[in-house]
Amino acid sequence: MKALRYLALSIAAVLFLVPFYLVVRNGLVSEAEISAASWTFLPSSVRWENFAELFSDPAVPLVRSMVNSLVVAVLQTLGQLLLCSLAGYGLARIPYRYSGVMFYFVVATLMIPAAVTFVPTFVVVSTLGWVSDLRGLVIPGLFSGFTAFLFRQYFLNFPRELEEAARIDGLGHWGTFWRVVVPNSRGFFAALGVIAFVTSWNQFLWPLVIAQDQESWTVQVALSTFLTAQSINVHELFLAAAVSITPLVIVFVAMQRWLVRGVAETGIKE
Amino acid sequence: MISRRGLLSLAGASALLAACGSNTGRGGNGAALQQWYHAYGEPGVQQAVERYAKAFTKTPVDVQWNPGDYDSKLATSLLSDGGPDVFESTPQISSVRAGQLVPLDDLFGDARTDFSASILETHTVEGKIYGIPQAVDMQMLFYRKSMLDRAGVQPPSTVDELLDAARRLSTGGVKGLFAGNDGGGGVLGGPALWSAGLDYVRDRQVGFDDPLAAKAIGKLRDLYTSGSLLLGAVKDWAEPDAFTQGLVAMQWTGLWAVPAVRKALGDDFGVLPFPSLGAGGRASVPVGAFGAMVNAKSKRIDEAKEFVRWLWVERTDYQEDFNLSYGFHIPPRKSISDKASKLTSGAAADAVKFVRDNAKASNPPDWTSVMRTAFNDAVSRVVRDGAPADAELRSAAGVVRDELKRLYG
Amino acid sequence: MSHARAFWLFVGPFAAGLLVFVYVPIGWSVLLSFFDARNTVTPVEFVGLRNYADMLTDGPFLRSLGTFSVFAAFIVPLTFVLALVLALLVSQISFMQAFFRSVFFLPTACSYVVASLVWKLSVFNGLRSGLANTVLSWFGADPVAWTVSTSPPWYWLVLVTLRLWLQLGFYMILFIAGLQRIPPVLYEAAALDGARSWQAFRFVTLPQLRTTSVAVLLLLLIGAYQAFDEFYNVLGTDRGYPPFARPPLIYLYYTALGSGGQDFGHGSAGAVILTVLIVGVTLLQGRVVRR
Repeated sequence: MKALRYLALSIAAVLFLVPFYLVVRNGLVSEAEISAASWTFLPSSVRWENFAELFSDPAVPLVRSMVNSLVVAVLQTLGQLLLCSLAGYGLARIPYRYSGVMFYFVVATLMIPAAVTFVPTFVVVSTLGWVSDLRGLVIPGLFSGFTAFLFRQYFLNFPRELEEAARIDGLGHWGTFWRVVVPNSRGFFAALGVIAFVTSWNQFLWPLVIAQDQESWTVQVALSTFLTAQSINVHELFLAAAVSITPLVIVFVAMQRWLVRGVAETGIKE
Repeated sequence: MISRRGLLSLAGASALLAACGSNTGRGGNGAALQQWYHAYGEPGVQQAVERYAKAFTKTPVDVQWNPGDYDSKLATSLLSDGGPDVFESTPQISSVRAGQLVPLDDLFGDARTDFSASILETHTVEGKIYGIPQAVDMQMLFYRKSMLDRAGVQPPSTVDELLDAARRLSTGGVKGLFAGNDGGGGVLGGPALWSAGLDYVRDRQVGFDDPLAAKAIGKLRDLYTSGSLLLGAVKDWAEPDAFTQGLVAMQWTGLWAVPAVRKALGDDFGVLPFPSLGAGGRASVPVGAFGAMVNAKSKRIDEAKEFVRWLWVERTDYQEDFNLSYGFHIPPRKSISDKASKLTSGAAADAVKFVRDNAKASNPPDWTSVMRTAFNDAVSRVVRDGAPADAELRSAAGVVRDELKRLYG
Repeated sequence: MSHARAFWLFVGPFAAGLLVFVYVPIGWSVLLSFFDARNTVTPVEFVGLRNYADMLTDGPFLRSLGTFSVFAAFIVPLTFVLALVLALLVSQISFMQAFFRSVFFLPTACSYVVASLVWKLSVFNGLRSGLANTVLSWFGADPVAWTVSTSPPWYWLVLVTLRLWLQLGFYMILFIAGLQRIPPVLYEAAALDGARSWQAFRFVTLPQLRTTSVAVLLLLLIGAYQAFDEFYNVLGTDRGYPPFARPPLIYLYYTALGSGGQDFGHGSAGAVILTVLIVGVTLLQGRVVRR
């Protein structure tokens, strides 16, 4: 029984890893080998010079688009954590006449997935003149009702004794939040932050709509453009894809603990 | 433009941004006009248009090359303030009505009569010209002479002969015809209508509301099911690779591919228009010309107009280079096309003759994207899924009729 | 500092953002949906409910909802069952548990774009040498044009396996978290009652996973509903999108923003209909859970 379990898991693991292997394999072979008459698991030769070819190809703005993706992901992660944690804390802990109304104002948006409203959001963002602009890429994604809601739930369970001690020391809401609550919630911030980063790096529909200028492409838009047009060498495309997932694989290996906690606690990714 | 794109007022992020530079600023040159092209497949075109832009001394011009779904991209950016100042396209009546394009009549000067009248026609909406034609493109049928000879097949002059030829030329690893990975529904829909003497739109009325249309499109279905079409090629119909590699005996592609085909096959090929369905029908070739257009939302319309005037009216040497040095196109100006020696012999000369005798506008201004989508979807469902042609075309005709009513009342 | 001022200091920036980037767009969209608005994002001519009528009569939009239903009918149960199986297998082993969990979770690091690249150009390309076609050839079968053929519609196999690969690990983690919350004492009690392992699964595990299961189902359904990325990248070309396998967001994209006419009246009406549908499903799910 136990052996059967391991057998099943091993077969599944191979199936899960093959696509990763294919990205790297196809990125490091010659163009001819990708469309060769018969397929072999191991390539006949590995061409490391493909890296030089990819990074020197002026038609493929890989470095530029990776930098764009990185800037967008970092800004969205930090911005979302900041705005949503403040809102979550305010809703959870500050007694105020309209806090109930504001809570409903926030949770009502939970029912509407952002992807469905990309057309209306585009209308507003284009009116603001933010098409092909970093602001248009980053800012609309900062206001996640779901993240604010999660922070509120978390802060509701935050030990009150800690806050009261701070209150006695003369700290207001603002001081308490920054000096006591945030430092004691690092794990939670890390968990939600990793999720936000991964989501932002991999998002596609919104950047596709908003990043019209080649200068503003994220890496996903760049890959998709060449994939649908098939206008560059296929091995370059695969190598670019391999390069594009490297930062996230590193995040996965280094921060898996937070990531798993984030998934388990949020139960949502997009 | 620098201040809007380069500077951000996002609290707490400015330090990071400074470190990364003005991230989505346009190449640091805020004073440059933005010019968009779709991605031409032939090598050298991108470098050529960048060279032209650089040679314009009055205003810096940044060229953006757009691989991928150019029509969608252009449509989206014309809605916003961030679109290009100058771009290539064909005018649609709906964009003109929405005020997205700048009329360019005043740029032609004396050269107006030098431009082919029928091509200018396709850039004219309600009496005004919205694009300066850059290059005339046409599509036609390429066939491999030696393969036809070996099979004892004559170059087809009717649709039935085409089907028959495709069938007889499919032997061994070779297929008879390649007309796109979608089985021809995308590029042959128009030619099929024309083969029956019909059209997209005629005198502001639906041009294909006729039982013959179902018969013509039905022929495409027959072709698809005959097993003589190549499907799933690596490069699609616009590139001649399947033809030059000997995967097919005939391919539907364009004049632009002639240099590449000649290089690969020498004289072993001929060209034909899409044949006629029979009595009352006619042979046809789709003809269209991208024109340089100016975005009405541009903040520098005058400079943009001056640039396109300079590039496509004044610099006839560039027009000649653009049309003839890479893929083949027909120069829209008679003074250039008359002396274009590359177009006076062989397949290119035939193509010029087809354009004179068999031309049909592939993208007339009143054939809007809504109509085109409805028609192409209908054709695709008939061809690929075997949906009944009369019902599909009737519902597409309904869409076209509504759209025409919206446009003309 | 008064509570009121503190409250707005904390909640104000976020609420303002929600207003501008969620409420205003939806309001604007509802407005546009009653107007003719082509090639522009401002209302042109009031048409009443005509856009809604157009969308809800037989046509591409309804077909796109049909496409979603087909997709969901495959992807939701498949992901649910396979993710649960993986979670059970992984949580029942001790040696190399972390390794297997990581391997199954790793695809989450890939975007749909990258996965589409691998599926379209490597695993399921139409060439004789494609991976899937190579496997077929071992059994003497002819190569298949996976993403081109419409009869039979092989592209569903491509799209469904792609999404399975990408999202199974994520839902497996959710199930593992759910499994860990089950008190061991329940299994001990079941064992004392002489329950076999499948009985323990049927009478302990499944009921205890009820909350997780409902959440997973809802997430899967909403995820399928929002499908865009892999459809666009596997089936889209530089000349647009084929007339089959258009899920709702693909249809809206081409109607409003793509080459399909910049039609914001119909596009907005479609967005409103989708929003209403999804809110309906969510509220219904809320009922089910509470009961």
